Amino acid sequence: MKKFFTTQAQPWITLLARLILGGVLLAAGWIKAMTPTEAQSSVRVYQILPTGVANSFGLILPWLEIGIALLLVIGIWVKWSGFAGGALMLLFIVAISQAWARKLPINCGCFGNGGITADGKVHPWVYATEIMRDTGLVLCAAFLMRFPGGKFGLDDRKGS
Amino acid sequence: MAKKEKKSKLDAKDNGTRNIVIGMIILVIVVGAITAITKSRTNSHATAPSAVATSDGYGIEFNKSAPVKVDFYEDFQCPHCRDFEVVNNTYINGLVTAGKIHAVYHPMSFIGPESILTAAASACASDQGKFLEMHKALYQNQPATENDGTWTNAKLVQLGQSLGITSSAYDNCVNKGQYINWVNNVENYAGSQNINSTPTVLINGKTLPQGDYLDPVAFQAAFNAALKASRVK
Repeated sequence: MKKFFTTQAQPWITLLARLILGGVLLAAGWIKAMTPTEAQSSVRVYQILPTGVANSFGLILPWLEIGIALLLVIGIWVKWSGFAGGALMLLFIVAISQAWARKLPINCGCFGNGGITADGKVHPWVYATEIMRDTGLVLCAAFLMRFPGGKFGLDDRKGS
Repeated sequence: MAKKEKKSKLDAKDNGTRNIVIGMIILVIVVGAITAITKSRTNSHATAPSAVATSDGYGIEFNKSAPVKVDFYEDFQCPHCRDFEVVNNTYINGLVTAGKIHAVYHPMSFIGPESILTAAASACASDQGKFLEMHKALYQNQPATENDGTWTNAKLVQLGQSLGITSSAYDNCVNKGQYINWVNNVENYAGSQNINSTPTVLINGKTLPQGDYLDPVAFQAAFNAALKASRVK
């Protein structure tokens, strides 16, 4: 069974983890890169960074995500691109948790969504589902750091 | 021995491909980020409608000397902005026409391309003295879905004409996207003021609390309180 895992299953799980983490980062990054002002707002709403810094970070973050995503999907430096992706997800989890604790609405745009509705009611599921999704992605990242070698990655072709 | 040599040659070739791919990825990130930053810069040469003061965040202004200044941050595609408009429109427009309110309208555009078009068209209408009418009409005709193709330049020209705008300057302004850069400046200013939801209304710099937007009495009370305070001074 253990042998089956290392020789058969693990490389495919690594590929799957790369595609899941990379795919989510690519989609998230691309959507945000196409709507920069919304991306800036989505950093500001967490009220962690000063407004000016948050606005700059909001412009750069999507491209960082796209970069990490490409490395993961193509399979380069999997151990470290996995680490970077996981670190981003941990950062998001911290940001969402503190927003939840401070009762800050987290989706930008019209009020009424994003955890707090117009009547001031807090909807914990909005925060909780985001945190659960990011936790799943952190697990993908952890797997990649432990087992970076997989299928169809550019680095997998090396004859080592 | 020969076999080993062949293998290391293959490795070198592979590394070449790998380096090219890494280089391309870095290029994509750097070019993307730099483009995003330069595009988002406030353009000080942007043409702005005549009712705009850059000192008030590029907003469209009415009655600059009135004692109470109210900033309206809104997006013509935002359903809650329409709700706010439905509830408060008559009262606020009454104040504007009576000259009792220093109103500053900031048409935001974060919902997407059709927000940019509508915001720019409202500025074109402002030049024709029809901002308030356009403002109302845009909400009255707000589509149920955002960016569904309802707002095109042709439709916005038509809408303006239906409000009694006859000048061809308006049509040109809409069709040429004369105020698109200005719309970007408005959005930037709102970002710098940490405006994250629409509608956001500031009465003399004080944000109207979230629960108060759909309650007509709340806005009137807040406005009158500010008016009273300004008289005491």
